[in-house]
Amino acid sequence: MDKNAESGNRVAVLNRSEKRTDQWTLLLIAVGEKRDRAAFAQLFKHFAPLLKSFAQASRHEGWFPGLSEDLVQEVMIKVWQKAAGFNPEKASATTWIYTVARNCRIDMLRRKSNTQHLPLENEDFWHEADEETPVSLLRQRRSEDKLQNSLSQLPREQNEILRKVYLEGKSHAEASTELGLPLGTVKSRVRLALQKMQILVSPEYQDELHHE
Amino acid sequence: MSKQLTQHPDHAMLVEFSAGTLAPALAICVSAHLHFCEKCRAELMSLNQIGSQLMTQAEPTEVDDSLLDAVMEKIDQAETMPSKAVEQETLSDFPFAVNQLLNNPQHKPFWKRLSGSVDIARFQTGQSDFEVALHRICAGGKTPKHDHQGLEYTVVLKGSFSDEKAVYNEGDFLVREPGDIHQPMGAQNGECICLSALAAPIKLTNPFGFLMKPLLRINPM
Repeated sequence: MDKNAESGNRVAVLNRSEKRTDQWTLLLIAVGEKRDRAAFAQLFKHFAPLLKSFAQASRHEGWFPGLSEDLVQEVMIKVWQKAAGFNPEKASATTWIYTVARNCRIDMLRRKSNTQHLPLENEDFWHEADEETPVSLLRQRRSEDKLQNSLSQLPREQNEILRKVYLEGKSHAEASTELGLPLGTVKSRVRLALQKMQILVSPEYQDELHHE
Repeated sequence: MSKQLTQHPDHAMLVEFSAGTLAPALAICVSAHLHFCEKCRAELMSLNQIGSQLMTQAEPTEVDDSLLDAVMEKIDQAETMPSKAVEQETLSDFPFAVNQLLNNPQHKPFWKRLSGSVDIARFQTGQSDFEVALHRICAGGKTPKHDHQGLEYTVVLKGSFSDEKAVYNEGDFLVREPGDIHQPMGAQNGECICLSALAAPIKLTNPFGFLMKPLLRINPM
């Protein structure tokens, strides 16, 4: 089977099972399978400005604005190099690129700080997450559209904490100090947000999994 | 994994793991748990979507066109270099991060006797908040009764052990609060290996426990 037919098939399969067919995902597949430079340039055009904002949102100790473009470069180089390992059944291109950016941002910080003897990169922690996950579990996941929708409907104080944690890179404890709230309150706001977005694996489903 | 895991990291930990804000010692433990737990793996995929959505909702910041050229140049340079990716041999069916720590060329961990039935191998993790180590309890071995001055996180990697409360199997993720007194016991049918991250010195409550104090000294590396 030639390369084009193969990727055509893959897209067809994706369409059939209503998996991810957004344009970024298709472009990332093209980069992974055909080393398609034009597709990569389109991804760059869309994601580089978002990655730069993500870099600038960091409030990690030791982070400074000058690192932002370094991060954009590092992430996009990784995107090119690792695109072949992208699995659209597990994540959209956007989520996959977010995870690359998150890992790069942490590793850059760890490299800068001098306490560095951790023989692990952040992506090493995620190695297990790439193992086989039952399709039935993946299907339980919410679509990105639904998630985006429910995220925007969260009460302001829940949204604020998620932004602090994911964008600024604050731990729950740091967020609680900053907001002047007890740690328990921060944790319960996060839990409420997760419940509202329905992204926790439900207890009934866990039983089902057990019997599979 | 045929047995259902009963002990998982709480949602706050999974969120911090997904956002990358979890302390490295604890990230090692969560990562080890994921090796065994489909449910938490699936939950993390959803949690990553939160980060991804928040990232894309933000106002984009202008990037100079020359940056793409710089990136392409670096990509081309990297591709002319010989690939140095060497598939690392997995020595056991331990979680990936644990294998990496076991094979750390800068600090090869070694097993050390802790008591009659417990051995310890300490990892170098470049932080001083937690001591990260493997504990090996021989079949039917009793550990000294101890309580904790700090939090202790434990993931069962091989075999099983029990304490006054329950039996813990491969993959189970336990948290012990300061003040919890317990006496883990290895299962009769084989040795048990656990990964642990310990936040502060533990205090022996056994009257003869003081004999072991120097060995139980917390020793983050």
